[in-house]
Amino acid sequence: MEPSRELDALYSLAYEELRRLARATLRREVHASISPTTLVHEAWLKLQGSHEVRADSPLHFKRIAARAMRQVLVDAARRRNATKRGSGVALVTFDETLDQPDAGAAALLELDSALLELARVHPRQAEMIESRYFGGLSAPEVASLMGISEATIHRDWRAARAWLAAEIADGR
Amino acid sequence: MGADESWERIATLFESLVTLPPHDRSRALDALSGDDALHRDRLAAMIAADAASELPLDGGSSAIAGGLLDTGPVASRQVGAYRLERMLGEGGSAVVHLATRADLGHRVAIKFLRDAWLSPVRLERFLGEQRTLAKLNHPAIATFHDADILPDGTPWLAMEYVEGVPITEHCRSQGIGELDRLRLIRRVAEGVRHAHQQAVIHRDLKPSNILVTERGQVKIVDFGIAKHLELVVNGESTRTGLRMMTPAYAAPEQLTSSAVGTYTDVYALGVVAYELLTGQLPFALDGLSITDAAALVTQGNAPPPSRIAGSSLQRHHLAADIDVLLATAMHPDPQRRYRDTDAFIRDIDHLLAEQPLEARPDSMRYRAGKFARRNARGVGAALATTAALVALITFYTIRLRQARDAALAETARVESVQRFTQNLFEGGDASAAPPETLRVLTLLERGVQEARSLAGDPRTQGELFLTLGGIYQKLGRLDRADTLVRAGVDRRTLEHGARDPITADALVALALLRMDQARYADAERLARDAMAIHAERRPPGHPSHAADRVALGRILEAKGDYPAALGVLREAVRMHAARDSTSADYVAAATALANTNFYAGNYDAADSLNRRVLVLDRVRHGARHPSVAEDLINLGATEFERGKYKEAEALYREALGITRAWYGEMHPATAASLTMLGRALVRAERWEEATSSLEQALAIRERVFGMNHPNVASTVNELGTVELRRKRWDEAERHYQRAAQIYRTAYNGKHYLIGIALSNLGSVRMGRKDFVGAERVLREGLQKFTETLPPEHTNIAIARIKLGSALLGQQRYSDVVKESTAGYDVLARQATPSMRFLQMARHDLAAAHGALGDTIAAARWRADSAVMAAKRS
Repeated sequence: MEPSRELDALYSLAYEELRRLARATLRREVHASISPTTLVHEAWLKLQGSHEVRADSPLHFKRIAARAMRQVLVDAARRRNATKRGSGVALVTFDETLDQPDAGAAALLELDSALLELARVHPRQAEMIESRYFGGLSAPEVASLMGISEATIHRDWRAARAWLAAEIADGR
Repeated sequence: MGADESWERIATLFESLVTLPPHDRSRALDALSGDDALHRDRLAAMIAADAASELPLDGGSSAIAGGLLDTGPVASRQVGAYRLERMLGEGGSAVVHLATRADLGHRVAIKFLRDAWLSPVRLERFLGEQRTLAKLNHPAIATFHDADILPDGTPWLAMEYVEGVPITEHCRSQGIGELDRLRLIRRVAEGVRHAHQQAVIHRDLKPSNILVTERGQVKIVDFGIAKHLELVVNGESTRTGLRMMTPAYAAPEQLTSSAVGTYTDVYALGVVAYELLTGQLPFALDGLSITDAAALVTQGNAPPPSRIAGSSLQRHHLAADIDVLLATAMHPDPQRRYRDTDAFIRDIDHLLAEQPLEARPDSMRYRAGKFARRNARGVGAALATTAALVALITFYTIRLRQARDAALAETARVESVQRFTQNLFEGGDASAAPPETLRVLTLLERGVQEARSLAGDPRTQGELFLTLGGIYQKLGRLDRADTLVRAGVDRRTLEHGARDPITADALVALALLRMDQARYADAERLARDAMAIHAERRPPGHPSHAADRVALGRILEAKGDYPAALGVLREAVRMHAARDSTSADYVAAATALANTNFYAGNYDAADSLNRRVLVLDRVRHGARHPSVAEDLINLGATEFERGKYKEAEALYREALGITRAWYGEMHPATAASLTMLGRALVRAERWEEATSSLEQALAIRERVFGMNHPNVASTVNELGTVELRRKRWDEAERHYQRAAQIYRTAYNGKHYLIGIALSNLGSVRMGRKDFVGAERVLREGLQKFTETLPPEHTNIAIARIKLGSALLGQQRYSDVVKESTAGYDVLARQATPSMRFLQMARHDLAAAHGALGDTIAAARWRADSAVMAAKRS
């Protein structure tokens, strides 16, 4: 057994909850705009009393949830790309939007792999981007989580953004 | 330069560069010198990207998320052998199409699960419906034809296409008479009875699910929220989310989220019959909240059908019996309802044959009166028999009630476990989520409080304590489980007595808890006590005898007494096999026996059991279920131990395919399967593939847990071991250093895992003959071990032997004798898998004693070493 089943459980919990919430939002209003930030926040509201989450600070939870949110989106994007490459088999598709160019999925996957590369060389900056972009943590929240100043966050955001853009441009 | 400093430099340079006017930037870039010049290309690309690029980052994640997660309506063509014609209907999670099978020409309704990937639970629920339907074969139930999964992962099932109208409409449009309507209900009830005999409850019977064809055939459709009666703890069955069903036909126990059972379907049949016979529903629930509806329905004061204004029943000669029949079918108290469809059908038959009903209103006068009426000529003579009859009925009723109580208690227990575990283990989707936002422990704690408030009902209280304790035990909260399970045992002892078989059932639960607490002696004693009580008080062939043996066997195995464990487990498997060699009980016993055989080294026996379990799990859960993956991993483990790495690899790969499909690419479970596979590949010395598999596992864990998590370190450690075995010292050193660093940070410098990484690092340095460096890390590792492990621990012994070797490399012979002897003495007393290190110690001790001039000791160690080497080869 792994030393920390708790984090595993927390991640799984956040992952499932985020998917559930995303689905529920879409069921309520078709073509609703889905905000990962809102989803992460709702997931926190929903799970904060539970056993896995109770011991955690909201910030720590949101950081894990940001990672799970990223995964939810990456999975959705991968699915989309996979279905699109369906190689001429007469698939039943449940997705009419497939015929439209799917720039979003490709862009997200590019961003994701650039982020993986950033995480390899500069893990803290990748974590910052992930927390802010996928988890909707505010600059002050990220600052307190990572123990750095807000000014550094703003500086690093722009630099990391450029780093990622360069990485993506390089990969094309 | 570490990641932080290098980033700091890049960010600082970038900031100063972008604040320059654009035409000055290239000059500034060119002017970079020293270490800064290393960043030149990167910075130039960043500056270009900063101005020009559009990143998804810029729009915020909402813009992208909406497009990715949204799913449009269905567009469809061909599925398997079926050609889709048109959509028949659409629900929250499924869509149903009419389709034709080209080769056979028959029409079917194909139901697709939308967005199966949303959660494994959702998929499992759909597959559950497939399995349910596949089990059922009755003319009154729409037939299951086929099921599969589309290449894009969408599961579907094809069933008989029923061209019919709802039973209510059929009766209205055909002008069916009252008694014929009852006969129609009887046929529906037969279908429901068949489902119940297969342990399936429909739970959503209503006119729109009960169709009648033009030829007058009744067909029950939509087992979408049907549920299996047997206990299921892996979240495979469905939960009656209130939003999933129709309150008008829901039994009170469904509206109040209490235990449901076969009697729940009886209630719905009662409501449908009521509607058919009176033209209206028993309760006006429209517009009421679930709470208000529950309050109304729980009172159970539906107007008797015969008193509905305008009902043709008013003057019907059987009106009074119909009132009793429907009042009994719809009784708000399940204990006073028809216990099952069979009882309901019998009374419909009695009614149609104008015989007395088995059901009776609360007063005995009804039946006696009816008896008198029908035997009007002999009332006087009958007075005497009436007394006898009353006695007979009372006896019958009591016996019935007892059977019913037992059934209810069992159902209640099963249901309460199910309700709780479903909430615990389901990721769930919106339609299945509990109405409250409470989860897991909140829910459990509420259960505990509810249980405590039941002091007046020790029997139910005991059940609840044991159930809740079991769940806490599953969750690893052994202290809480302890309190609850002991309380459950106490209640049962008070209620039934210490030597009662029911009390003994609770003792088994306590025994298994003691096993988890590693209190093996207590566990064994409790299990044996329970077994003795059951042997004395329950008939031979009762399933508890086998269950006791499974428990005892698992305890003995945990204790390490394999021969004894094998004995009782074999007995348990035999007993279960004699009853039903495909049951879940049998599978559990066979798995326990297989595991024990594996630990005892009986690989053939373990294998044949695991293969049988695999077949059963495939039938039970389908070929691509995590429990099938688990079976494959067990089979792989025996192949691995036999050195058949190719076979192990194939099994692990199959398991990996299942976990991947089930949990997704980036899930920790997938990483675990990849790690198993990686280990098999390491043993086969297929280094590149092993590394690739482990690196995939690593990527998942880094992604899931972050770069600096112990779970990441364990995979990094495996990778280090691959490099060590390939004698690629630099790579191995890098991996072990990283693992050690992660463990240091994660555990604040104090954990035996730090010692493991350091000890491995020591092996690397020994490999490259850096004995001083090896000694340093081995001593540090040894210190971590001694701080955190008991003094006789294997890890300490091995570390000392390795330290001895490092000292031998430095020709510090008396230190070698000290460390290696200490390590050897401990390790030699323990089991033999570490023979390699014992040999290392013998070799080092021979050399050290020889160098110190103790030729006798040296000769003795050399001889030992030679003997062992001969044995090994």
